[in-house]
Amino acid sequence: MARRRKKMEEGEVEANLLPVLNVMFLLIPALLLAMEVARFAAVHVTPPKFAAQADEKKEKEDKEKPLNLKVFILEDGYRVSAQGQQQGADAGKSADSNKPTIPLKKPGTGLEDFDRYDYAALEAEAARYKQLFSHETVVTVSAENSIPMQVLINTMDAMRGSDCKLLKAYAGEEVPKECLFWQAIVEAGAG
Amino acid sequence: MTPDDLYLAKKAAKKAARRNKNADGQGDLNITSLMDVVSIIVVYLLKTYGSDPVVIMPTAGQKIPMSHADAPIQDGIPVYVSTRSITFNNKKLVQLDENGEVDPAALQGHLIGPLYDAMAEEADKAKQMAAAQGQEEWSGTLIVVGDQNLRFSTIVNVMFTAGRAEYREFAFCVIQTGG
Repeated sequence: MARRRKKMEEGEVEANLLPVLNVMFLLIPALLLAMEVARFAAVHVTPPKFAAQADEKKEKEDKEKPLNLKVFILEDGYRVSAQGQQQGADAGKSADSNKPTIPLKKPGTGLEDFDRYDYAALEAEAARYKQLFSHETVVTVSAENSIPMQVLINTMDAMRGSDCKLLKAYAGEEVPKECLFWQAIVEAGAG
Repeated sequence: MTPDDLYLAKKAAKKAARRNKNADGQGDLNITSLMDVVSIIVVYLLKTYGSDPVVIMPTAGQKIPMSHADAPIQDGIPVYVSTRSITFNNKKLVQLDENGEVDPAALQGHLIGPLYDAMAEEADKAKQMAAAQGQEEWSGTLIVVGDQNLRFSTIVNVMFTAGRAEYREFAFCVIQTGG
């Protein structure tokens, strides 16, 4: 008591912590709200080796010709082929590398413009194939070396369908009907 | 003074004493309410950051691709592939050139040498752990944390290398957009 009295006499004052704590507790929610929280998700892909095995199994089960849908991302558009036949190829040819099946939506733009591809047309094409082959879920996606990853992801999004939600399917529920070709195989140099 | 007056005077005195108690501006901190707030914040932060099985920490300058995919990130080992470098297990293993291509000196066909060594070592460790835990088979899952501008050839090289190191399942990490 004597020491305390002495200190007080020397002019020392105790800090009032209440306003400091008030500010601190206002800062915490303010900083939490200001924080940008990114929600991470995953796009599951399969390497080609296992896809071939899956196709063989399916062939045995279904005893019908598989769709074998392939999308090749070119610098000037998409080349789509199914059952070994490229869509839009010249008569009598299985593939025609000169022109893409789905040309660019914004021709003349650089590779850094991810919206240059016609994702809507690709999704419409996927929906058309899905109507014909309702049991098929696999698509093989390949690209030219220079194609950016964002274009690859957008392409897989379009093939999966913009209304496709797989969260419940990964929890054990059935895959929704809105999902088109949701199992992607990423292959190098598939034409 | 009547008993009623006495009672009212006492009441007024008590009220005045209560009013003057904190007149010097000093308030008592109630530790219970502070603990309540802190507990709520701790639970909120744990729920927000502790639910993902994998913590994704992109490298500086890395722009993770956007997608409307909503599949959750499952347990796996992340590999960070930016347009400048490849990082695995917190080690920057490969430097990429200005075009985002792997240095040809580190490349044998599609195989990225230093990355393969690190991945194979990690796969061996994971297999031993799985065996010790009594798991029949180790499902090597690799989470490719890429960049929007990453070239397809580099993605293929990374996947090929991982495949050689016995990683069987692959997932591209994306930032979820829209609903």
